[in-house]
Amino acid sequence: MSLLVFAGASQFAMIRLFSESAPTAIVIASVLFINLRHALMAASLRSQFQGLPVLGRLFAAFVLTDEAFAMATGHFRRGGRSLAYYAVFAISLYVLWNVATLGGIVLGDAIGDPRRYGIDFAITATFIGIVVLAIRHRSDAVIAIAAALVAGGLALAGASTIAVITAGALAPLIAVFTRR
Amino acid sequence: MIWIAIVGSAVATYLIRSIPFVVTIRGRLPEAASRYLDALPVAIIAALVGPAVVAPAGALTHGAEPVAAALVIAAVAWRQSLLPGVIVGVLAVALFRLI
Repeated sequence: MSLLVFAGASQFAMIRLFSESAPTAIVIASVLFINLRHALMAASLRSQFQGLPVLGRLFAAFVLTDEAFAMATGHFRRGGRSLAYYAVFAISLYVLWNVATLGGIVLGDAIGDPRRYGIDFAITATFIGIVVLAIRHRSDAVIAIAAALVAGGLALAGASTIAVITAGALAPLIAVFTRR
Repeated sequence: MIWIAIVGSAVATYLIRSIPFVVTIRGRLPEAASRYLDALPVAIIAALVGPAVVAPAGALTHGAEPVAAALVIAAVAWRQSLLPGVIVGVLAVALFRLI
């Protein structure tokens, strides 16, 4: 599954749906919904990838994940232009994700609860850092805080599948309606 | 049945990601649209962070994540670099979950 559906959150959702023996259409629809946020990410990255041939863009899309998007955005915001940065990071992520999936199948039960070591927070801390480094104007900070609060609130309210797409799509409207 | 769902999900995941890359828009974007797209990346990453800080594992945080998040912001803003923030964040969360 990790080889084909390279999308962490939806893989976990699929596992749960499979264990409840949900209908195929429901599984596919849920995955589509959870991954809608990647359409937003692709939309925001597309200007960087416009120079690539179609095949290259199709490949970039296959390895696009939250993490690859965040690292690429951080890179481009710091003035980086290199697409190789994205390619190397995204491909390594794909390989590591699948190696780790295999590792999990083999070792799974021996590891225990990874939350105890705080490892699950590493990616959150990385994302926070990328946002902090990317903030250039006061409006950037306002938008980031608004997006985080709205998404957090929605997740608490039980709407975690639509939290990121809703908050991510709404918060930038602040930039449209405010003057710099 | 499970394999149909997996392949179907793979196609759905891929289409969603690739369409915005391949479809090209002719002409220049209007000012409002380019401002929107400019603000989009930071908003999406912040939106990914929100739930992980406020509601890790789907339930209201016990306080470890928000405090750690504040420490990460301080560390990154001070050092202007990611790694110190990540180290401080992971250590803080592990520590707070111990107590």
